[in-house]
Amino acid sequence: MSKFEAGMEAMVDMYIYETTTLLEQLDQILMKTESASSFGEEDINEIFRIMHTIKGSSAMMGLENMSTLAHAIEDMFFIIREEKPVITNTRDLYELVFNASDLLKAEIELLQEDSYSPTDFSGAKQKIFDFVDILKGKAPSGGTDQSAAQPPAAAPQAAAPAEQKSSEFTAVRVFFEDDCKMENLRALLIINKIRDDCEKLEYEPADIETNPESAKKIIENGFIIRFKPNGPVENITREIEEALNVKSYEFISAPAQSAPAKEEKAPAASAPAQPQQASPAAEKKTEPAPQKEEGASVEQINNLLAQSKGSGAKQSLISVNLNKLDQLLDMVGEIVITEAMVTANPDLKGLQLDNFQKAARQLRKLTDELQDIVMSIRMVPLSGAFNKMTRIVRDMKVKLNKDVDLVFEGEETEVDKSVIDNLNDPLMHMVRNAMDHGIEDTAEERIAKGKPAKGTITLSAYNASGEVIIVVSDDGKGIDPAKVLAKAKKNGLLTKPEKDYTEKEIYNLIMLPGFSTNEVVTEYSGRGVGMDVVRKNIEKIGGSVSVDSKFGQGTNFIIKIPLSLAIVDGMEVTVGKSIFTIPINSIKESFKLKPKQLIKDTSGKEMIMIRGECYPLIRLYDIYGLEPSYTDLFSGIIILVEAEGKSACLFADELIGEQQVVVKPFSPLLNNFKVKQNGMAGCTILGDGSITIILDVNNIISNF
Amino acid sequence: MTDTELYTEVSSDFMTTGGKVLLFDIEDNVYGVEIQYITEIIGIQPITIVPKVPDYIKGVINLRGKVIPVMSVRKRFGKEEIPYDERTCIIVIEYDNIAVGLIVDKVNEVLEVDPEQISATPDYKSVNSNRYISAIIETQTGIKLLLNCQKIVAE
Repeated sequence: MSKFEAGMEAMVDMYIYETTTLLEQLDQILMKTESASSFGEEDINEIFRIMHTIKGSSAMMGLENMSTLAHAIEDMFFIIREEKPVITNTRDLYELVFNASDLLKAEIELLQEDSYSPTDFSGAKQKIFDFVDILKGKAPSGGTDQSAAQPPAAAPQAAAPAEQKSSEFTAVRVFFEDDCKMENLRALLIINKIRDDCEKLEYEPADIETNPESAKKIIENGFIIRFKPNGPVENITREIEEALNVKSYEFISAPAQSAPAKEEKAPAASAPAQPQQASPAAEKKTEPAPQKEEGASVEQINNLLAQSKGSGAKQSLISVNLNKLDQLLDMVGEIVITEAMVTANPDLKGLQLDNFQKAARQLRKLTDELQDIVMSIRMVPLSGAFNKMTRIVRDMKVKLNKDVDLVFEGEETEVDKSVIDNLNDPLMHMVRNAMDHGIEDTAEERIAKGKPAKGTITLSAYNASGEVIIVVSDDGKGIDPAKVLAKAKKNGLLTKPEKDYTEKEIYNLIMLPGFSTNEVVTEYSGRGVGMDVVRKNIEKIGGSVSVDSKFGQGTNFIIKIPLSLAIVDGMEVTVGKSIFTIPINSIKESFKLKPKQLIKDTSGKEMIMIRGECYPLIRLYDIYGLEPSYTDLFSGIIILVEAEGKSACLFADELIGEQQVVVKPFSPLLNNFKVKQNGMAGCTILGDGSITIILDVNNIISNF
Repeated sequence: MTDTELYTEVSSDFMTTGGKVLLFDIEDNVYGVEIQYITEIIGIQPITIVPKVPDYIKGVINLRGKVIPVMSVRKRFGKEEIPYDERTCIIVIEYDNIAVGLIVDKVNEVLEVDPEQISATPDYKSVNSNRYISAIIETQTGIKLLLNCQKIVAE
């Protein structure tokens, strides 16, 4: 990766993470304001801040194309904020910003590939500049890049008429270490640092923020700062001294040299003239973050301050590398196992160790808590994945001209982080499908069917019998089984006679590779790969997808994600030497059998009667070919289980106890042998290091 | 299966440059595993039975918090199993991010193999266990059979 300067590569991850998060925030703000159809002052400031940060960090990374694009948007919002123009074509504005956000996101994606070359954003930038011109009341000029670079300087000049400075200014010339690179940005850092301590502040070259060429000037002439401190001068010189890469600085008292700087004053320089500057020291104490805001005006800082009260929660979050969490989880697992090895050590057998036992109990309690905490760290709510869909629906609403509401249910349901990462693509495909194929093309069509004119797509999530179930449903056309069957037949996808297919089987045909009922390939779906990809992605994380539809009424896509790495409350039962874990939420009750409850049908199949209901009996040792301690039904234990509305009684030797367990998925090697279909959902490691197999009650009931 | 396919199954590096191979015994044969696939060698561990899988999959073990399947190489090659003793070992190999433990009678030594000692396996369609052998190594002490880790893990 030679795309970054040496020493920058370590920061790439951080940069990508930060920028992606910011862009997501941007989308959310845009979506919120678009549906409310009003830009609040705070929203504008927030967008401004996001773009500003992206601009700064992109420049830092040497990604000039991204930096300038972000800059263009920043400028646009600067004008919107400062001049409060009447925006007549809001929709264009949104398109512009959404488009830019997409471009930036795509660029970030590209960045993660090895063969990265910067994309040219000049087209997008030009559109923004044209729009800015419209905002300013000018006709679209089709201006050149030259004029494009100017707005930042032009706008603040209009906003803050050049002020005359007096000879009270102290001037300092700063030299940076040789070869420290990006002198202009380092200079900017100094400016940001000392800004709060200065009543007035100017610097030269003034275009350090926008013009990388200014670095050369700084190397040649030094970086000249002229300021009027509002405290002792020493405060400022100390800041300069402490700044990174500063080689030396000298006092020069030649105010005459300020002439060139005056002409091209950067937005920041105008800040001190504004009234909001009243108590810079107080601001500094309450909110250090704005200091990072390169070139932000004090007014903006104040606005940020106002918002930051609400966003206090954000600052209590840190981002951690997932690998570290994996390691932590493994380590805690080991501690738990070691703890059991120590406290249940065979050497201690028969000894009277009261104090040891007390300490051991305390240790166990602590390790249990530690385990719980570590597991909960990895869980993230689905809301993040859901929120991404808002954007897709919004885009498609505009393009397809369909009016649709996106509704979330249970978005607070938590799944493991690794699952979320694999969910985005499938969800996107399904939402697109619902928008494109599901919802009727026109409102009239919907009204004719007695539905509300506005379509609804619902994303819902909930926990059920140890699985996370996510349903993407729409109230659209539904799937026509006849059409699906015909299409499948045409594509040679049928494996048995047509009439043998049940309705459910027919719907699930659409998940087969190379199937698509939509004759027309659109931008969004219909390439015939969609559902196939969805299925593959979900299966990759060990889940399953099924389709349910009522023709004319709507379609449900049901994703079931296994417990993979989720925490389950489980009941341990023994069958011979084996221990199985049954998820507590699928257990209805457990009991010893009484003779009168047992019924046999004519073929000898055993059933158990409980409170007037009859349930099939499944002997665990029988289906798994194990050596049980008891074959006599009255000696062992009966567990009544239920999953998806179906119930059965399982027969095992004994109940051991209840425990919270981390689910570990089976190795792909074992998945080849259909362990899942055979009713095994995964395994888990108990406190003493032994492994138990977690039963998948649903599959046991359906397959045995 | 053609000759070229056979060659691609062995890591081509190994065919041309040779490398280190861990030798282990199964019955009278000596087998080898390329050292690059080996994560570690451990003594026999308590094995948790996984029902409803082929009999050569003995179950799963807990390797420091990771659950990995173990298979009996004897069973896999269609031989009778013998009781485990203190020399029984589990060789943990990893191929394509899939880890599996191989239960072997005992491990021998690590052998540095020169390319000229390696020859491709003949193409006997009828011999079943031949599928798991990717090459033959000739040494002064006898013939060693190089295990095909990909086939072991994937099939």
